Amino acid sequence: MFSHVLLCTHGTEGAKKAEALVFAKLQNAPNLKVSVLTVLDEDWRDMTGDDWLNSSKTHTTFLDHVENQMNEEIAEEWQRIKTSYPLAERANFLQSTGNIAKTITRTAKKLGCDLIVIGPWCKPKKFSIHSTRLGLRDTMKNKNLHPLLPCPLLIAS
Amino acid sequence: MSQIKDQMPALIMGGSLLIYGLIAKTGAMLPMAKYLGTHKTMDLQVTLTLIVGCIALVGAIVSTTRKSGTSNIDIFVLRPLAGIVFILVLAMVIRWYAEPLMKITSVALQPLLGFKIYKVLNLNYVVLGILVGVVLTNTWGIPKFAAEGVKCARFVLKMGVIMLGAKYSLAELAKLGAYSVLLVGFFVLGTVFLVLWLGNLFKQPKSMTGVLAAGMGVCGVSATVAVAPVVKAKAAEMAYTIGTILSFGIICMFVFPTIGHLANMTPVQFGAWAGTGILNSAQVAAAALAFNSVDIETLKVAEIFNITRVLFLPIIVLVLATWFGKETGQKLTFKSVVIDKFPVFIIGFLLLFFLSSMGVFSPASHYKGKYIDVSYSERTQVTPEGLESLNSAMAANEFSGLTPKQLEAVTDLVKQYQIAGNFADRNDKKVFEQVGRARMAELEGVLAAAKGKQLTLSADVKEALKHAVKQVHKESRTVVALTDFMIWFFAFGLIGLGMQITKKSITQAGGWPIVIGIIAGVTKATLSFFVVLWLIKDVVLN
Repeated sequence: MFSHVLLCTHGTEGAKKAEALVFAKLQNAPNLKVSVLTVLDEDWRDMTGDDWLNSSKTHTTFLDHVENQMNEEIAEEWQRIKTSYPLAERANFLQSTGNIAKTITRTAKKLGCDLIVIGPWCKPKKFSIHSTRLGLRDTMKNKNLHPLLPCPLLIAS
Repeated sequence: MSQIKDQMPALIMGGSLLIYGLIAKTGAMLPMAKYLGTHKTMDLQVTLTLIVGCIALVGAIVSTTRKSGTSNIDIFVLRPLAGIVFILVLAMVIRWYAEPLMKITSVALQPLLGFKIYKVLNLNYVVLGILVGVVLTNTWGIPKFAAEGVKCARFVLKMGVIMLGAKYSLAELAKLGAYSVLLVGFFVLGTVFLVLWLGNLFKQPKSMTGVLAAGMGVCGVSATVAVAPVVKAKAAEMAYTIGTILSFGIICMFVFPTIGHLANMTPVQFGAWAGTGILNSAQVAAAALAFNSVDIETLKVAEIFNITRVLFLPIIVLVLATWFGKETGQKLTFKSVVIDKFPVFIIGFLLLFFLSSMGVFSPASHYKGKYIDVSYSERTQVTPEGLESLNSAMAANEFSGLTPKQLEAVTDLVKQYQIAGNFADRNDKKVFEQVGRARMAELEGVLAAAKGKQLTLSADVKEALKHAVKQVHKESRTVVALTDFMIWFFAFGLIGLGMQITKKSITQAGGWPIVIGIIAGVTKATLSFFVVLWLIKDVVLN
């Protein structure tokens, strides 16, 4: 029915449900094309907060370090997906920085995807000492995504 | 056409400022300014709005007539101009309208609440500026046209600190420097080791502990930014640490000045405490100005402590790099760890200090005390506490032994909050200055009579009069001008930095960093409070 699915994941519990759903379907649909998208929230650029003492060189070094760390962590995520789902080798992995909702819809449009799959929205845990999710707690309200959708959206649960 | 559209915000702001300046020049706004208590700043309002308005209009017109390129004038002047004007407009609105309205509202609400909101929360123009920046960025967001200008806030704040260099004497710098090295050295190293120990105790990764130790120990987010690449901190660790530091810092910005007032701390004590206990250096400046924005004594002390701990940053980076590198076998060069992290603007601060000490800004004829400045200035005003003492003394008829001229000088001081000429004569500079100087001489006479036991005045009243006389004795016109600029630079810089505190970066506080951070931060703030009260008792600045 669908020919190209855009799976959006950033490794949270909700996103893992989306991964499981897509790769389970892929087993029965050999011609289905899957693109895995990980969006790095543009708010990472504001990580330096109200720092004003450092030189621009120190700032640049820090932002380069943040970018490298994020790339490493995203690479680890993709490796986890590939290890968990051998069929993921067939998928096309993409990474992009920007506003989450806008980046997802822009990518779906650009790739010509006919279905976007995401995980359910999870309320971020605040002040939990055991919660060490990757990077910023990138969550997106579906109401921001819905008006921009270029194709159907499936929320795995 | 699109270039005109892009420049529309600058054109509107520039035009509005010019109209405001021209209306203010006619005196039509004087009744409202008198109601707000800002009538003494009318001349400044006219000058500033006309200058900034003209610059905005000229910049916008130039930008519409040429294609934006990569030249220095495009990058450093034309592109950020609209944002710079935007922040300046905010600063003006806050200083001339929001702050006075806040005071009037607080006074009106006092019978209902039992306290003055602006006093309890220290809602002066500095704190209001940061709050406006934070609220704006987290609601509507920074307007697109202002984004480039907001980035200038860091540079402008550094310029403010550089200008502050001209305000110190060698004796002050030596005295404050000794205290700051002692206190900052102890608390920076103490907090760094406390966090490292707590991290080890709670079995946390070294990268996380390292980045948190620098942030909590040295200078907040700035130290985190400097240390994170060295200890290879993970993204989540940096996010948690920065969130923890920002949240803790914002709470401190409001709590510290209130505690300082409750504990009757002197400006020197509070400056030392804020400079030691508050994590983020921008919030140190904000808290110091919140504690006392009338004169800049507290800021002078706090900034010395700020600078001292910034100087500790390369040392801490080196310590953590060695500590971290040992385990990972990572090789780091002295240049990448120390030289690259050295805050270059401190050289500018020292340069201004040396120039000032050499008398470059104060010609020989301007020896201290020779230049009397009785013009309207917030920094020449008596403190709110001093004004209260004078009002009480007036009510208690404490000035009954004064000559009519002396009584007139004291009455005018209470009325105008500062030694000055008559408001009606403000355009005739000669008459205004003569009357102001005569009043100063009368007040000096009151103090002399009190010293010679011819008059009995309470200690608080004598202190208030001494302070008023001291405030009009200036080092030089250049230093006064530099200080005026500096105050605006700080206001501009802090509004701009407020715009860079996002809700997301604050609410990402969490994980073990918040637990360890709170333990270390509260311990440092509490201990430094008592140590400062015990150690700094008799330091008086000129």
